[in-house]
Amino acid sequence: MEVKLLSEHYDKKEFRHLEGYQKLGGYSALKKALKMKPEEIVAEVKNSGLRGRGGAGFPTGMKWGFLPQNGEPRFLLCNADEGEPGTFKDRLMMERAPHQLIEGMIIAAFGIKSQKSYIYIRGEYYQPYKIVEKAIEEAYKAGLLGKNILGSGFDHEMDVYRGAGAYIVGEETALISSLEGKKGQPKLKPPFPAVKGYLEKPTIVNNVETLAAVPWIINNGAQGYKKYGTEKSPGTKLFSVSGNVNKPGVYEVPLAYSFKDLLENECGGMKPGFKLKALIPGGSSCPVLNYDEAMKATMDYECMSQMGSMLGSGGVIVIDDKQCMVDLLNVLMHFYHHESCGQCTPCREGTGWMEKLSSSIGAGRAQLSDITLLDKVARQMMGTTICALSDAAALPVISFVSKFRDEFEFHIHEKKCKVKGHCHAQSHH
Amino acid sequence: MPKVTINGNTIEVPAGTSVIKAAQLLNIPIAHYCWHEGLSVAGACRMCMVEVEKMPKLQVACNTTVTDGMVVFTNTEKVKTAVKWALDFHLINHPLDCPICDQAGECKLQDYYMSYGLYTPEMNQPKVKKEKVVSLGDRVVLDQERCILCSRCVRFTKEVTKTHELGIFNRGDRSQLATFEGRPLNNNYSVNTVDICPVGALTSKDFRFKQRVWFLKEFDSICNGCSTGCNVTISYNQNGVFRVKPRVNHDVNGFWMCDSGRDIYKYTNKEFRLTQVVERSEKLGGDAVRGKPVALALQEIGRQLSQVIKNKGAQSVGLVWSGQYTNEEYSSMGRFFKDLGVSQFYHWKNNEKDFDSFDGILKRGDLNPNTAGLKKELAGLKSWADFEKQVSPLEMIFVMGPENFGAYSDLEENVKVIKKAKEVVWFTACESSLLKEFKWLIPAKSFVEKSGTFVNSKGLAQAFKAGLTIVPDAVSLEEAVKGMQESARMVS
Repeated sequence: MEVKLLSEHYDKKEFRHLEGYQKLGGYSALKKALKMKPEEIVAEVKNSGLRGRGGAGFPTGMKWGFLPQNGEPRFLLCNADEGEPGTFKDRLMMERAPHQLIEGMIIAAFGIKSQKSYIYIRGEYYQPYKIVEKAIEEAYKAGLLGKNILGSGFDHEMDVYRGAGAYIVGEETALISSLEGKKGQPKLKPPFPAVKGYLEKPTIVNNVETLAAVPWIINNGAQGYKKYGTEKSPGTKLFSVSGNVNKPGVYEVPLAYSFKDLLENECGGMKPGFKLKALIPGGSSCPVLNYDEAMKATMDYECMSQMGSMLGSGGVIVIDDKQCMVDLLNVLMHFYHHESCGQCTPCREGTGWMEKLSSSIGAGRAQLSDITLLDKVARQMMGTTICALSDAAALPVISFVSKFRDEFEFHIHEKKCKVKGHCHAQSHH
Repeated sequence: MPKVTINGNTIEVPAGTSVIKAAQLLNIPIAHYCWHEGLSVAGACRMCMVEVEKMPKLQVACNTTVTDGMVVFTNTEKVKTAVKWALDFHLINHPLDCPICDQAGECKLQDYYMSYGLYTPEMNQPKVKKEKVVSLGDRVVLDQERCILCSRCVRFTKEVTKTHELGIFNRGDRSQLATFEGRPLNNNYSVNTVDICPVGALTSKDFRFKQRVWFLKEFDSICNGCSTGCNVTISYNQNGVFRVKPRVNHDVNGFWMCDSGRDIYKYTNKEFRLTQVVERSEKLGGDAVRGKPVALALQEIGRQLSQVIKNKGAQSVGLVWSGQYTNEEYSSMGRFFKDLGVSQFYHWKNNEKDFDSFDGILKRGDLNPNTAGLKKELAGLKSWADFEKQVSPLEMIFVMGPENFGAYSDLEENVKVIKKAKEVVWFTACESSLLKEFKWLIPAKSFVEKSGTFVNSKGLAQAFKAGLTIVPDAVSLEEAVKGMQESARMVS
């Protein structure tokens, strides 16, 4: 069953504007927060166990705790560069509840004592950008942003910044580079952004969904949040489900909800004539699960990790029996090859090599040894680069090849597709 | 100070030292392309992977700071595999055109393949094609297919010259090094990018295709291009000198040298040089006669000198000094003339106006390697203005002329002044049509052919040694003194 802690009012049009949002209880958390001590806010979020919803699942309160306690100016950045293939929950959140995000950001900024924040929004999200920008304007007019917010003495300025269309800018240090006006490339760590980030100042980068969860936690307390999910995966999460299911869309369920239930209850099962074959649970970088694994999976960090995959951003890609895995891998390899920033050698060269190998397999121009080579290249790209894009490109390869090797071999032996007879991969160059 | 143990060897290093630097201090090699001590850390090539105890993943040695008690390994199987693959990733799209590549023989792709690679390549896909022979500026040419995108050159133009001509454009394996539009790589330090390029991507227009590096020998020297005195390495063979590269000296030039300094070798080579004595006299019909053995010429000059002193007095002899000779030469020649009572010493600067200028990096307006040494060895030097006033009555002058005429923008003008003296003995390494009316032209050794000491603008004395002989008849001023002194004393 859906548990709509955040998305309860998402279908109400008035919730998108300040007046309606306030009428439905909005900004009550901010009022409460401004009467708390900043340290109490950080502690509350830490105690709630809220984990970063952008993909890595890093505990949010702990991240905030890395900031130096020296009064140095610091920045809060909202990562709205939602680019992980299969993920479209931040978009919905910004379109349906821009003030929820803004409220969460003001509270977070108060907690970490930041006077300036940016919402870095991907360039392709023009509509959400307009909506968020308008909401910020409303907030300024209502005294919720700017000087002396609601008479608390706390000042905070907020701006929206549009990206220029690079997947890698979803990586927090690349986002910072881009915001600084540089080429969107990840920065070498250490130093970490909490110590030296945007403009070399301490910086916290949080995902849209993470920040949007903050008002609820402040209103209902850490313990209230922990009633949902598991000990290590507390709370709810928004999953964006795509694929040949009856009702694709964004669903908020408690963490540790079973995938089977999500598919059958919320999504209304597979479309007629399609059977579930595989599942990418959290966006394209997460290793694929086969049917048996998918049916046993619960949507939480621990289970996914046990199954050798990741919960990622919650971009649930349902793969049916009419899909060719070679074809799908080709699409992914093309994507990662196109999106590698080119800074680190293994990723720059490896993503291109993997795309070529994968497409030559699909086109029936390869030998069996090329499957092994593809797997080998992917493994050598793991853990060798500044950011995780290299791993993100390698993980699908390793899982696709190990779990669906028969489809790859068929393409090589028969020079046709096992699933469709003829698939894109064959004509793909 | 933290202690680090690398492959079982422990060393104490200053706080903040990186693992790669600590390994360097221990003489433990760690492969690297993007790391350069004189530049910021990029951490992009991923070659310097090491295993650090208690860290699950391999770390890049360039961006790992030593902490006390850290234990590092560079030789485990895990590290070896990672380095081998990092190298392979560098090479999969590399054109492997070593036979026509100028870098061959000093290429880090070749070197590391031999020490860390030795695998059978498995790349069986079409390679990425990029542009070849891209001119980046007056002195540097780029081959984009050979470029490994280590960004050393980009960081150099950003951090050292702050001229920002270079950038890496596009993404992924389509990334390419290029200059920004309308901003060619023409700063006076551009060839440093060629030095720090670990592969054959950036090559020097001056040096490329001139010699295979394995046919070259090297020796250490001091640049004579200006008063900074950059430490250099000079590459040569039996056909002459081919290039000058900077040698690290943190007290002088760090890792770099300027582009004009790169040209100093040219004037040492035979085609520019005065290879024989040139003599002009009434007796010989006023024509230039070449080829008198230098020993005989010096004897004769000594005799003429003593005659002039005897007949007209020591005050009728003057010496014009450029700052291009060694301390030892100034001292011995100075003593020789002072002993004869000659004390009219004039200082010829390269160009008075910009003489004290400095570009903020290395290059100084004083285009002489040893102005400080000249002033120290020969106290009481008079100025060029004095010389202009006093030249006319002089019977005989000796000119210790510049080695590199190009540096002396006022050459033509000043030669006219010198011509006012009756007899001129000019020591010169290079030939010039401007000198054709002087009585004696004595071939002088260039700085690569002699040993001695230069004192730079900061007062640092730097000794250097002769590396090769280019003009067998050329003499240093010390040798010239030896050649003149016997006959000069005989008469007086």
